[in-house]
Amino acid sequence: MIEFQGVAKSYDGIRALGPISFALRPGTILGLIGENGAGKSTLMNLLAATVQPDAGQMLLGGQRYAPREPGAALNQGVALIHQELNLFPNLSIAENLFLTRFPRHWCPPFIQRHALQAEARELLAEVGLDLDPGTLVEQLSPGESQLVEIARALGAAPRLILFDEATTSLGTREAERLFQLVEKLRQQGISMIYVSHTLADVRRLCDDLVVLRDGLVVGQGPVAEFSLPRMISLMVGRQLDQLYPTRTGEPQTDLVLEVRGISQPGVMRNISFQLRRGEILGLAGLLGAGRSELARVLFGLERPSSGEIRLDGIPLPPGQVRQRIQRGMAFLTEDRRTDGLCLNASLTDNLGLVVLPQYASGNTGRIDRTSLQGAITTVREAVRLSAKAADRQPARTLSGGNQQKVVLGKWLLARPRVLILDEPTRGIDVGAKFEIYRLIQAVADQGAGVLLISSEMEELLGLCDRILVLSRGEITDTLARDEFDQSRILRSALAHTLTA
Amino acid sequence: MSLDVAIAPPHPGRWRRLLGSDYFILLISALYFLALAPFIPGFATPENLRNLLANSLPLLVVAAGQTVVLIAGGIDLSVTAIMAATSVQGALVMQRMPNHGLLATVTGVAAMLGIGAVVGGGNGMAITRLRMPPFIVTLTAMMFFSGFAVWVTQSQKINGLPEDFNNLGGKLPFTLAASLLAVGLLGWLLRRSLFGAWLYAVGHNPRTARVSGVPVDGVLVGAYVLSGLGAALASVLLTGQGETGDPVLGRYLLLDVIGASVIGGASFFGGRGNVLSTAAGVLFIKLIDNSLGLLGSSHFTIMMVKGCLILAAALADSLRHRLVAAN
Amino acid sequence: MNPPGSRLVRLALNQASVLLFALVFAGFGVLAPRFLTLVNFSHILLQSAPTLIVAVGLTFVLLTGGVDLSVGAIMFVGAALTGRVVLGGAGPLAGLALMLLAGAMVGLGNGILVTRCRLLPFVVTLAVLSIGRGFGLWLTETRAINLPPEFLQFGAARVAGVPVPVLLALGVLTLAALILAQTAFGRQLYAVGHNAEAARRAGINSRRILLVAYTLCGLCAGLGGFVSLSQLGAVSPKFGENYEFKGIAAAVLGGTSLYGGRGRIFPGAFLGATLIQAVENGLVILNTDPYLYPLITSAIIFLAVLVDTTRARLLASRNRRVILIPTAQPE
Repeated sequence: MIEFQGVAKSYDGIRALGPISFALRPGTILGLIGENGAGKSTLMNLLAATVQPDAGQMLLGGQRYAPREPGAALNQGVALIHQELNLFPNLSIAENLFLTRFPRHWCPPFIQRHALQAEARELLAEVGLDLDPGTLVEQLSPGESQLVEIARALGAAPRLILFDEATTSLGTREAERLFQLVEKLRQQGISMIYVSHTLADVRRLCDDLVVLRDGLVVGQGPVAEFSLPRMISLMVGRQLDQLYPTRTGEPQTDLVLEVRGISQPGVMRNISFQLRRGEILGLAGLLGAGRSELARVLFGLERPSSGEIRLDGIPLPPGQVRQRIQRGMAFLTEDRRTDGLCLNASLTDNLGLVVLPQYASGNTGRIDRTSLQGAITTVREAVRLSAKAADRQPARTLSGGNQQKVVLGKWLLARPRVLILDEPTRGIDVGAKFEIYRLIQAVADQGAGVLLISSEMEELLGLCDRILVLSRGEITDTLARDEFDQSRILRSALAHTLTA
Repeated sequence: MSLDVAIAPPHPGRWRRLLGSDYFILLISALYFLALAPFIPGFATPENLRNLLANSLPLLVVAAGQTVVLIAGGIDLSVTAIMAATSVQGALVMQRMPNHGLLATVTGVAAMLGIGAVVGGGNGMAITRLRMPPFIVTLTAMMFFSGFAVWVTQSQKINGLPEDFNNLGGKLPFTLAASLLAVGLLGWLLRRSLFGAWLYAVGHNPRTARVSGVPVDGVLVGAYVLSGLGAALASVLLTGQGETGDPVLGRYLLLDVIGASVIGGASFFGGRGNVLSTAAGVLFIKLIDNSLGLLGSSHFTIMMVKGCLILAAALADSLRHRLVAAN
Repeated sequence: MNPPGSRLVRLALNQASVLLFALVFAGFGVLAPRFLTLVNFSHILLQSAPTLIVAVGLTFVLLTGGVDLSVGAIMFVGAALTGRVVLGGAGPLAGLALMLLAGAMVGLGNGILVTRCRLLPFVVTLAVLSIGRGFGLWLTETRAINLPPEFLQFGAARVAGVPVPVLLALGVLTLAALILAQTAFGRQLYAVGHNAEAARRAGINSRRILLVAYTLCGLCAGLGGFVSLSQLGAVSPKFGENYEFKGIAAAVLGGTSLYGGRGRIFPGAFLGATLIQAVENGLVILNTDPYLYPLITSAIIFLAVLVDTTRARLLASRNRRVILIPTAQPE
């Protein structure tokens, strides 16, 4: 279907991809895996023509394929489903679907609204969405938006669809729906390339596999030939003995955080739990169960309508982020780009942001830059930030894994007593994940309480001492380590759906 | 892209550093001065340079305040209106003081700075508490306070100000001391203090700043207060220079203020800019004003040339950033 | 699930600008009965015609997330050029053509600087404002130019009892509303305004859209200038001054966002422009100190934007996602 012949691409003289050569058989799904920075995104961007190759050529159905712009790629039947949603929330579903090819009258050149609605309805039916095409996209859930995005791709009558981390913003059930759709598309003879960090999904969906490392193909063949450990060792380039580091410490007896009856109208009800020193407490649940909302309430970014939060036995007033930080709370947010980092600020400025007041003189507010820099250098080493990253380099230019280490580093500098982590390894490659797990355990071993929110069940099972399950804003289950059981967690997460 | 290659100098590293540095505009200003000095009679005389300095200082004070707001990712269109309103209010206060001694001057200056701070604070509160867009808040503040200045005076100028007060803006040593003190303090705040570090963080990403414990609203209000104070101080200097309370003071200054900050490298997207670069921008704009004035150009010629130069500076800035990024 | 009256509150919030509009009219109506007459309404419409046309053009640019501060200068340059040729013996129609051409050219220039050279719209149009005003002053030699009476006749002419400026304004309004709501260009403009990079990836030619938006804005400024000229009959050195702020205020009063992607011509820009004029008109009728006009106008604009921002915030919190199962809610 598509064939790469010696394709290569460099940015600023640094090779990002290739030269690579491989082919995708018609009507099959090709899984594309690799660590962040391995060249997956570059490959996708080349296909979607957001960037142009430096060398080599691509063949689409035997013909030379060299689109100059995204529109041309789409016209030749190559559609990209982005990692981030690329819909326009201020337009209706139908308008999003037909944005570049509205059905219109000859004169005056107005849009044919009836035809638009009808055609949009057809496309929505294909992806199994029963919504009014006139609905504004801003009213849709992430899962629905993802399906609309696929419908948009289908509208261009594609021969090849590229999925770039299509499930990151989806919950389990929404992802399931997506997989069924992918299966249906394959039966219709559409070829697909599926990029994902969730290796289990890749194994389940794909026919063939290509593994990239440092811009080169390091493994390819039928997916059946690749076991999970083999995939990982190919991606990482070294043998990883295990996915999770061995835990040395264990939870202590004294409580560090106590949450009593937190409620917020429409969002959460009567949430109570306790976190002990040295404990890693997992928070499981479906997407939209209210886990991030709970984290934001705990950290003082939102106010609860009732309930009490105690840190070391002393109540925390609602809505006081600074006071919480001073008393030792830390919060690694779900999306490092929107509220974890200052992307254009330097690495140093990002690392120092939380602890600035500690290094400022009380009278004049003068910052002791020398001591601050010393502390930053120490923490840089502690989180094993890539040595290549210069102190003055903008955070934007770092890989996802290194960015997350910066965010973690800025909180570690504050020596937290309670660390809340919201999806700390989302979109991060395997090698960096392992190091982040190691850091989380180290924080716990030093006596802090850790609250870990994650949508990856494996991660919770591998790291936590105890797991809480949240379902539609309520805690439905608590499991101690010896009770850990995937199906029980899933049942509890679906509690309200099953009973309703 | 082939063009970029053709003009690439033999030592890209050194060139790049110069192109990317904050002193680029300073260099351009120096070149401009050196190139024109032989051709404009009276340009390079000590007297003219004194004049240039005296004219630059008030602009520097407002532009430095504006830079603070731009770093925080906002914009303050109300500075010229603050200048006009403080000018007439200060003049009225001093006029009503029984004797024209030092007390009158101190009271007048304090009143002017107070009004500047209060208006700036009001802008900041409207932006943070009421979550209104900075552009609209400061635009309506501009309309309101410039209208207010004209209404209070019924469009008349106010004369008879205390001599001490007039000296502040009229005698160069005083002006220099007052402006350098203010701008130096601002520079220190931005570079060395906790407030400065927080300000840049808020400009880069207010959400990240908030999660990281930065009092975002307080920092923003502080930025607008500083901008209001800068405008008020500039008004003190200019009112003294003109020896009148002027209801349309600073009327045509907005272009210069924003131009100087932007030429100096402050960004509308926040997180970038500093006082020194803004000073370079001010110097550049005032050099042009001064040289064209000496050449006997009419004020509309100066307007046109200044507009073109600001465009050229913006073009050069965008070009050099692309060059630096591409190398 | 909805508490009683919530739909009413929501309706009121959604129609905040209409409500404010009604409130201002009612207020002036009570204070001065002469305000609420048909004659006066047509007067307000007539006076607001130039602002309306300029605000329509600005809406296009604001929708892209940009801003055009040069519209007042465009009006002045166009009027100065027209003044020169008309004094040379040309008729009003030649003047109209010249103003439209000048407007479109300057707008196109703005657009090229913004798209090709990737400069910030604020900086570009602020510089063009300065250049344009300087150029206009040079053209007019900083004196007022009085135009021949044909011009005033044009401004005062009526078709079927409706003044020509009002007809022109309503025509521009309707056309712009149709373009924005019913053409591919219009819908793509909203997309570009929301996220230009995403629009590019979706296959939209963002640059062309921006270029057209700025050109249309310049064109509208030219037309607005012509209408204003036909009403004033003279080009003074202050001609068109502050129209950029009036226009932006009108668009924003009508709910257009400065961040791009949100806003409409009708009722938005229409209500905004007439509201600004109605306030001034009402103050004249009430015999208020003319020096107070800018104070009151700016206060009303501030209030309107405050209401609008509060409305957006309240609506957002009302539309917040509900996680809990509502039936089991104890509250």
